[in-house]
Amino acid sequence: MRYYETLYIVNPNLENEALDQTMGEIRTELEKTKSKLINHRVWGKKRLAYQIDKQKYGSYILLHFEGGDQDQMNEFNTWMKLNNTVLRHMTVILDEKPEVYVEEVKEEPAEDKTTESVAEKAAPVEEAEVEIASEETEPETTEEETESVETDDTESTDEKVEADTPKEVAGESPEEEPKEKEAE
Amino acid sequence: MAFQSRKKFCYFKENGITDIDYKDVKLLRRFVNDQGKIMPRRITGSSAKMHRKLVRAIKRSRSIALMPYVENSAE
Repeated sequence: MRYYETLYIVNPNLENEALDQTMGEIRTELEKTKSKLINHRVWGKKRLAYQIDKQKYGSYILLHFEGGDQDQMNEFNTWMKLNNTVLRHMTVILDEKPEVYVEEVKEEPAEDKTTESVAEKAAPVEEAEVEIASEETEPETTEEETESVETDDTESTDEKVEADTPKEVAGESPEEEPKEKEAE
Repeated sequence: MAFQSRKKFCYFKENGITDIDYKDVKLLRRFVNDQGKIMPRRITGSSAKMHRKLVRAIKRSRSIALMPYVENSAE
């Protein structure tokens, strides 16, 4: 079966309950297509690149599912278009590779909804994320180092600042790096 | 040496990226000029295969308002 990814934008002013309600409506509508819901999570509130229905912001919701009946899927598509709470939506067929990604993400909402032997599955995923995050952070740190080396002149000004608050600056810099890694 | 231009390279091949996600706006922003236009392949140096994928990803992210169709348009 094919795997699909639907990304849709909802009015950001919706409160948590209203948002859950609309997400529930969409889930029930999707269940009519006999497709397996893999993942349904809020991706985040983002600034839209252009205004849609005079809205500057929108909360993005990501939906992964395994395709069901084709005709029903078309109906789901039109239903999403007619749904006024959904500002915009787009369904994309996932290639073979993103299926692995789907499996990784599948465990994130599972932690929220059902806690059945998720801990075992979640552990390797977190490790993978940490690996990716560390890869991303490494080049950034090197860039910072090179920058500091290049800007020898500005160090004198930095030293003055440090002289004003020497303890805080000295204390923050080693603490910040591990915090970022943990956060990511 | 002064006239020798830097050798162009495919960003994706260099970094081992095989698939471009339309949600990765941070990556896609590199291949778009300040007007929001997709940069030509002769400037970015990306391979033909990856450029096709890139274009598809940028157009997708435009349609879902992650990236602009037009930006800072010249008057």
